[in-house]
Amino acid sequence: MRMICLGLLAMAEAVALREAAAASPVQHVLVQMPLLVLAGVLLGWNLRVRRDWAVPLLLTALTAFLFWMLPRSVDWALTPAGEAAKNLSLPLLLGVPLRLSWPWLGPVLRGFLKANALSMLGVLGFLYTHAPVRICNSYLVSAQQELGFAFLYLAAALACLWAIPVLFGHPKCGSFGTAGCSRCGV
Amino acid sequence: MSTASENYIPGHAAAAPQAGAVKLTMILSGAVFALMMVFGLIMRAAQGQWIELDAALFYQLLTAHGAGMVGTAALSGAAIMWYFGGRHLVLTGGIFWAFLGLFLLGVVLILGAIFIGGYGGAWTFLFPLPALSGGAWEAGAAAAFMLGYTAIGVGFLLYYLELGRRIHTRYGSLARALGWNLILGREDNDPPPPAIVAAAAVTIFNSIGIILGAAVLAASLVHLLVPGFEVDALLAKNLIYFFGHVFINASIYMAVTAVYEILPEYTGKPWKSNRLFAIAWNAVLIFVMAVYWHHLLQDVVMPPWMLVVGQLVSYFSGIPLIAVTAFSTFLYVRGSNMTWDLASALLVLSVAGWSVGSIPASIDGMISVNKVMHNTMWVPGHFHTYLLLGEVAMAFGFMAWLVRGKTIARMNGLDRAGFAVYLAGAAGFVTVFLFSGAASIPRRWAVHYEEWLTHDRIGTLFSVLVVLGTLIFVLRFVARLGRSEG
Repeated sequence: MRMICLGLLAMAEAVALREAAAASPVQHVLVQMPLLVLAGVLLGWNLRVRRDWAVPLLLTALTAFLFWMLPRSVDWALTPAGEAAKNLSLPLLLGVPLRLSWPWLGPVLRGFLKANALSMLGVLGFLYTHAPVRICNSYLVSAQQELGFAFLYLAAALACLWAIPVLFGHPKCGSFGTAGCSRCGV
Repeated sequence: MSTASENYIPGHAAAAPQAGAVKLTMILSGAVFALMMVFGLIMRAAQGQWIELDAALFYQLLTAHGAGMVGTAALSGAAIMWYFGGRHLVLTGGIFWAFLGLFLLGVVLILGAIFIGGYGGAWTFLFPLPALSGGAWEAGAAAAFMLGYTAIGVGFLLYYLELGRRIHTRYGSLARALGWNLILGREDNDPPPPAIVAAAAVTIFNSIGIILGAAVLAASLVHLLVPGFEVDALLAKNLIYFFGHVFINASIYMAVTAVYEILPEYTGKPWKSNRLFAIAWNAVLIFVMAVYWHHLLQDVVMPPWMLVVGQLVSYFSGIPLIAVTAFSTFLYVRGSNMTWDLASALLVLSVAGWSVGSIPASIDGMISVNKVMHNTMWVPGHFHTYLLLGEVAMAFGFMAWLVRGKTIARMNGLDRAGFAVYLAGAAGFVTVFLFSGAASIPRRWAVHYEEWLTHDRIGTLFSVLVVLGTLIFVLRFVARLGRSEG
């Protein structure tokens, strides 16, 4: 119940950011859209599915993700129809399927998805900082460049977030103990 | 003659993890090494005007030779590290097969891009050259080349993810696997062996290189498809050289695990991790990622401090290698009364060649020298020393050990001949490159002036010896495949 409430809260927060999203692509793409995905993840937190649903659900989530990565989709999301599609699809077609499929994904596939996310954030950073035209008609070129740099900062932050536990071990494991770590599966 | 069991190290060599997959990979590596060397021989003979070669075909061969040698060095290094990593970790065979399949898919795409599409923009795919062919190839060929790299990169990423997670599971953290307990003087009753320290370091720096390489590959692909999307050329060059430099270095750092794991069988002295060894590998981890700036010393728009760091790290990066691996090899071999067979001879040669190769690298890493030497044959002289007398010799040494059998016997006549021919050919070949560089003969030129032909022709003769030696090693490996490893 707590997770559902948190999910609804994230959803409400995202909807409340409507005007901020129209004003800044950083708030739109890196605050509002992730909040909608988070809402879906939290709403699906206590749900469980069978293992053979994992791949279709992951493909659904990746397809939704790819769609909303396109600059054209970001523009469309500011129209009434696009906004409704965004508010429904990001939680239901990305957040929930991702949450449901994630426990069934092997560690190598999870690592691959994370590494790919870092590479793609780098590519988006390249594109948004170097595009010779306005990629999104709704935003200024200067705002577009801010978004590009924000993608790069996010990539660096996520790289640290994901790499530090692997490099130094889980904090509960103690500092490089010799007995290994039950939490990490040793 | 002695038997491997006399020098047997408890806990080592007991398992033969996924030996079939590794042997297949080494057959493929040996065959591609030989083919790429033939390409190199053709290019040297064409430069020496002993054969006629269309300039467009020369650059296609140059591209295939560069991409093929770097890729195969990495493939063979990865197979070696997987094999010896498997002695200490439980690795999933399916990941290795997926890695090999993606690698072969990449090879097909790259060969198609070069020999069907006509791509000849060199293995470095330096932005914006792939999109500016002047009509020599279509954008589709360049895109296929980059997709081939992407497939290989994905394969390597899977490989490192599997290796990294198994190291993490076994040791609790990559820091412990890097020997931080040894460095900090903490008690560790199960310290990581040298192969694991190397594997942890390579997993970290090559994963970072691959992730950044994938970003610049994808951005370059977008530029090919939508030319209006310009990538910042200097940033792209930095990313490409970071990726390329780290990747080719990783191939040697992976292959050196063969030295750590095999030589103790001959010397009878176990090769253990200690504080100095761990410090050296942690230094390698940093240096290998900071040294690539020495490729950009002629880019005057680079921030000066980066170029200074590039020069300084070029000096320092040789120290961990020479202080630890080369010096330790010398100490292990000295006075051990070891039996010299083909495997041990090639492995010791590889450490010597790797160390010697760092000298021309450090010289070229000096800004004042680099201004004059970087676009000359000096640079191929340096990296051919690293590869022919370093990584490739490690790979051939590993192959010889894989089919050695249980008994360590002195080299027979064919082994001695193969070793002598390969050593003479490789040493002569790289020396000619270095002399040509010192004489300011430019690299990457399809057509040479009359005054340079003597260099090219002597180099061609030495490259014939290299190809002969390689054929002996590869055919010997195939003929003895039925035998088990030492």
